Amino acid sequence: MSAPSCTAGCTVRLAGLRKSYRVGEARVEALKGVSLDVRGGEMVALTGPSGSGKSTLLNLCGLIDTPDAGSRELGGVVIDGLDELGLTRLRREKVGFIFQGFNLVPVMTVFDNVEYPLLLLGVSAAERRRRTMEALQRVGLEAFARRLPDALSGGQRQRVAIARALVKSPALVIADEPTANLDSTTARQIVDLLHELAHERNASVVVATHDERMSSHCDRVIHLMDGELQ
Amino acid sequence: MKWLMFAWKNVMRNRRRSATAMLITALGTAAVLASGGFALFTYESLEEMTARDTGHVVVAHARGFEGDEDVPLQHGLADAAALAAKFATLPGVRAVAPRMQFSGLISNGDKSAVFVGNGVVPEIDFRLRGPQMNFIAGQPPATNTPQPEVVIGNELARLMKAKVGGSLTLLATTTEGNLNAVDVVVSGIASVGVPEIDRRLVLADLASVQKLLLSDKVGTLSIYLKETTETDATAARVREMQPGLAVKSWRDLAVFYQAVRALYNRIFGILGVIMICIVLFAMSNTLGMAVVERTREIGTLRAIGTLPAEIVRNFVLEGMVIGGAGALLGMLLAGVATLFLLFAGIEMPPPPGRSAGYPLLLGFSPLLYGAATLVVIVLAAGAAWLVSSRAARKPVTEALAHV
Repeated sequence: MSAPSCTAGCTVRLAGLRKSYRVGEARVEALKGVSLDVRGGEMVALTGPSGSGKSTLLNLCGLIDTPDAGSRELGGVVIDGLDELGLTRLRREKVGFIFQGFNLVPVMTVFDNVEYPLLLLGVSAAERRRRTMEALQRVGLEAFARRLPDALSGGQRQRVAIARALVKSPALVIADEPTANLDSTTARQIVDLLHELAHERNASVVVATHDERMSSHCDRVIHLMDGELQ
Repeated sequence: MKWLMFAWKNVMRNRRRSATAMLITALGTAAVLASGGFALFTYESLEEMTARDTGHVVVAHARGFEGDEDVPLQHGLADAAALAAKFATLPGVRAVAPRMQFSGLISNGDKSAVFVGNGVVPEIDFRLRGPQMNFIAGQPPATNTPQPEVVIGNELARLMKAKVGGSLTLLATTTEGNLNAVDVVVSGIASVGVPEIDRRLVLADLASVQKLLLSDKVGTLSIYLKETTETDATAARVREMQPGLAVKSWRDLAVFYQAVRALYNRIFGILGVIMICIVLFAMSNTLGMAVVERTREIGTLRAIGTLPAEIVRNFVLEGMVIGGAGALLGMLLAGVATLFLLFAGIEMPPPPGRSAGYPLLLGFSPLLYGAATLVVIVLAAGAAWLVSSRAARKPVTEALAHV
């Protein structure tokens, strides 16, 4: 377990997180008391071999899983004790997700996909339109607003996913292997874009990656091994 | 609106599957509407038939409906003309027909048979009976003729070898308990479509029957209304006017109508339940497959911040879109079938105990169409809710890992 890198003004604060899973009769400890602080605008890479606990830590950090022990804070809100409904509401407001497989809704246009988080937040139609177009412009896809995701390349889809994650100006962005399915040129563009937008919007970004190109562009690289920070 | 648009897009995601579910729903809706329409038409026809036969409201002596008279007309109405005039002034009354049931023997000189007769005022009664009385030959009896005239059932005419213009003798018990006879002329041969009744039917001028029975009473007063829906209100008014008399509505006297209605309600009720199961199964199957296929997407939407209830709502909307479209198509199909049968002139075979068929028609009721549509949409929404609620509550990490 490594010491937190900041103690005040952190967007994300994870302390002593433990998580274990039952695999058959055995219980596997995926995280063994991990603590991590991430500042606003900071981009942190989580690296480590498969089974090291990267995805588990990412899920706990993104509030889509609950730890067995430890505490979490996001944007000053103490998460411990929040029920699923409360966690969902917090994710809705404060967390953006970027997935390895893009995970765009195929029947929604690019515009609709990016607009969706704002729709959940109850933003007015005019404001939604403005912010969605602005996000699409920022990722260079405003001309593709009416297209369906299937009509886009992998890199373009990931840019749509970035726009979707950042359109609501979240405090935290969780990115799970965002460049894994992309060629190196596109991957480079995606890394730059994510880095730029995270700084621009002061969002904390936690990226799980195996990709050296990705981790080398992050502000901090954290290596996980057997459920512990190295 | 945006959510409805998403629902529509998701429905169109697998067009063939959605179309199949919609078609099954449409056929189910059409079947329910067609069978419901048929039942409705049958009820309306029987209502009209019964009301034309008995009148909408029937007034008798306080014990007139008990059927325990020692002699004919023991419980008859003595002041029928005055009562009829009074009832005729009630709102919505079309006519008041005095009637007198009597029975006895009818003879052609060689052969006798039992008859069940009705003394009627021909100019009122035959007009009101309308198509219920099918004249095979001749015409209604005339009044004030030297010899009383009668209409007899076609089966009775066959038994008596009677023809229009022929002479027969009626033998009946008088109100004093004696036997009396009168020679009558057959003015018409008719059928009511029920062979059992046609074998006994005699309709005679009321005054002639009163002479035969040696009484000036009548058995009942049948009140005919302009609108059947006014039956209960009119019956209540009559009871208020004449608390000493027995008053029944056509519904109280319509044993056949009640029996058919009870039978059809059960048959079509069961059919409705079967259709509900089919629609529910089709919708559950279609939406269930969609839920499984989209589990990963559900996980993504949940991660982004969509509440489980919002996920369920999206699927419910999809169910409602399919169900609504199916119901609309079903209404259209049922409407086309209703119109087709209206012009096709298809005849149904005579029901058991009857000699005449009836047209195959489907009734139309906005209430039935509205209720069927509502039920289908609610069913579709319910099926969607059932199949999606579990997936919506699945842990996000599990849903995202779904392959």
